[in-house]
Amino acid sequence: MLISSNDKITTSQALVILVNYILATGILTLPRTSVEQVKTPDVWISVFLGGLIAMIVGVIIVKLSQQFPEKTFYQYSQDIVGKWMGRVLSLLIIVYFFTISAFEVRTMAEVTGLFLLEGTPTWAIIMPFMWVGLYLIIGGVNPIARLFEIIFPITIVIFLIVTFMSLGIFEIDNVRPVLGLGMLPVLKGIKTATLAFLGPEIMLLIVAFMKKPDKAVKVVLVGLSIPLIFYVITVVMVIGALSIDGVVMKTWPTLELMRSFEIPGLIFERFESFLLVIWIMQIFATFTITFYAASLGLAQLFKKNIHPFMYGLLPIIYIIAMIPKNINDLFKFGDMIGNIALFLFGVLPLMLLLISKLKGRKV
Amino acid sequence: MKWWKSKIKQKLDFENQKENALKYAEESSNESSNQFTGDYTVDLELVRKEIGHNWDVQFREFQIGNTGVHAVIIFVNGLSDKELINNHIMKSLMLSFSEKSYDDPSFVKGAVSKELIKNQVLSISELTEVYDLKGLVSKVLTGSTALLVDGMSTVLILGTTKGKSRNIEEPVSEALVRGPRVGFTETLSDNTALLRQHGDTRNLSIINFQVGRRTKKELVIVYMQEIADPNLVEEVKKRIKKINIDDVPESGYVEQLIEDNYLSPFTQVQNTERPDRVFGALMEGRVAVLLDGTPFALIVPVTFSMLLQSPEDYYERWLPSSLIRLLRYLAAAISLLGPSLYISFVSFHQGLIPTKLAFSMMGTREGVPFPAIIEALIMEVAIEILREAGLRLPKPIGATMGIVGGLVIGEAAVQAGIVSPIMVIVVALTAISSFAIPQYSAGITLRMLRFGAMFFATMFGLYGVVLFFLFLCSHLVKLKSFGVPYVSPTVPYRASDWKDFMVRMPLMMMKRRPKMLHTKDSIRKD
Repeated sequence: MLISSNDKITTSQALVILVNYILATGILTLPRTSVEQVKTPDVWISVFLGGLIAMIVGVIIVKLSQQFPEKTFYQYSQDIVGKWMGRVLSLLIIVYFFTISAFEVRTMAEVTGLFLLEGTPTWAIIMPFMWVGLYLIIGGVNPIARLFEIIFPITIVIFLIVTFMSLGIFEIDNVRPVLGLGMLPVLKGIKTATLAFLGPEIMLLIVAFMKKPDKAVKVVLVGLSIPLIFYVITVVMVIGALSIDGVVMKTWPTLELMRSFEIPGLIFERFESFLLVIWIMQIFATFTITFYAASLGLAQLFKKNIHPFMYGLLPIIYIIAMIPKNINDLFKFGDMIGNIALFLFGVLPLMLLLISKLKGRKV
Repeated sequence: MKWWKSKIKQKLDFENQKENALKYAEESSNESSNQFTGDYTVDLELVRKEIGHNWDVQFREFQIGNTGVHAVIIFVNGLSDKELINNHIMKSLMLSFSEKSYDDPSFVKGAVSKELIKNQVLSISELTEVYDLKGLVSKVLTGSTALLVDGMSTVLILGTTKGKSRNIEEPVSEALVRGPRVGFTETLSDNTALLRQHGDTRNLSIINFQVGRRTKKELVIVYMQEIADPNLVEEVKKRIKKINIDDVPESGYVEQLIEDNYLSPFTQVQNTERPDRVFGALMEGRVAVLLDGTPFALIVPVTFSMLLQSPEDYYERWLPSSLIRLLRYLAAAISLLGPSLYISFVSFHQGLIPTKLAFSMMGTREGVPFPAIIEALIMEVAIEILREAGLRLPKPIGATMGIVGGLVIGEAAVQAGIVSPIMVIVVALTAISSFAIPQYSAGITLRMLRFGAMFFATMFGLYGVVLFFLFLCSHLVKLKSFGVPYVSPTVPYRASDWKDFMVRMPLMMMKRRPKMLHTKDSIRKD
């Protein structure tokens, strides 16, 4: 089942898919999770280093995928480590993808329930969201890429406007001193920061869809730089406005930042609704691409049509999304996924790359 | 399993009917393929039997010159040009014939030769010969005149068509401040002539088809030979050939039969009355479809951004055009989401709007007994009825309707406490915005979808509106019009196509044709 030529995506589409996948929950929680670890205002350095690590991982993943042109991970993993081992690995990654899509949906439901729709049951928020997602991915990778291209500029413009409006309550003292306690605290935060950049793993599949796969490395580098800039801006603005101690207290510090200032004289005085709107779109992007990646995996594993798997995965994702009882459960769930991801995508691609290189030399 | 079987039966029945229809068509063609014999009375009887019963078909029998040869001309009263028949057919054959024929060496008394009539007598530019009844009937019924002469087994068909057409006027549905004041008419040949007039158009290909199994209407597809993508042209031809319906009264039929997705609320074929608009589209590499009997030409493929453009955008200077285009996008957004945003802010997120505004909004809604959605529905439905009513009325009454409906009812509804004043403002703004969209069909689409957005907003507030937007986008990105993604040039990103999107860049910078159309010749100017 090779990919037909009209299912191909351009380089900029691949880039946009990567960026939209990465930008998700992290933008609301990263300031808190990283400050909890670092405890100094140097969080932004951790974020920066985390981004660099993610870039290295991304490049490894791309190099691995480029060894097998026109093939996704699900297909070439069997070439590297044998039929059964390859299937097990693919299945692991499939489970990872639909678990993360369930996690994103649930997070979205929690935030929406808290800020926009108080009292609306979680299932009522989740279900229409998932149906719309299903409707999109039935069309395949091309419509997904096009939709991402529509929401990408909206996200950038609104995010930059909203963030820079909070400059009014920004205090430079809150982000000083730089490296007051040395490098050690910064290093502590790297793991958390790196987890915010989960996303390059999508390149395991996307490279196969690219019209020009040789540009994939560039895609990863640029595609990680954009979220990196987003995250650094967010972290600096949030800490600058709320201070270290303030950030740790808040569950969703970025939204709290938007709530804590008012600009009179405009049509809107508060801007968290704008941030929520683009954030919901970003979650939608992450949800659909992971949902699609999981369905594609199952379809390629069983060599069957993809549509039944999409319908079949829908209730599974729903059930997983409803498992966490409360928001603390949800965050624990998120940490667990993160740890699994660290193994799956931090170690595995490198190993596979080495094996395939060695094998390649033998042949 | 019963329903299933009945469905199969239905399908079989349908197939049978189709076969019968085809058989009928074949039989009738066999029947009428009668050859002419050359025997005057027999041939005339044949023709009379076929079309003689019609009141408007005229048979005029006479003798050619003073040769005593019988002849008859057959034409349809009103469709043919009587002036032409009198002066150039009857007069030539009856009066001028005697003088000429005696000099001719081939002249034999009692007979006339076809060549003589063709070459020397009839001063008519369009002349063809037919040999059977079928050919004669179809020509005569479209306005030509048939000349049947004793002793000749071929019938001469003389082009005397004088279609009923109106003068070329400015199109009502697409008025411009600046631009040619020319619109298509109901006559196909006039319309193609309007396109040819645009200058040296060796490139302009006009390919003819006949659609309608029974009526055989003339339809042409028009494209630029050296610009349009051949695959696109082939695709259009393929879809036109597939049309299998007894009659196509208007190009709207063709539009609905060739569009990609008939379940979509979006129009996938553009219609226009303006030749300049069609020509502009042709120069971009698109294909136009013109049908006889309607002033509305179709343009394919269509993208969503085209529906928010007007030819005037290119005639005015780039700065005002760009600003007006941005204004239209804003109008489209308001037209689509205005009431739903109102509903979500009033019934879910009062906290997100400025406090003072929230207080005054809540204050005006104090006496209103309905939830926001009912309030909005009352006003929206009222204004849609008003609009529909105004459309069918004569112009002077239409204006009165607007005043009575808009001002009086709106004012009274507020006074009576049925709706809040802000709701009236929102609805009025929405209605005006939908008028700002240059394509009528696109405006209707947004009007329909607005109600969907309102229901989403009622259930989920702002979240619902975002969801609706994502749903709409999901649909749009899947939609294609003749192989071109409906959302292009928005996506996929192509810098050169963005020069003519939300902003119309200066003509100096628009050097290439739209890339999404895969044109043969991509350079507009160097």
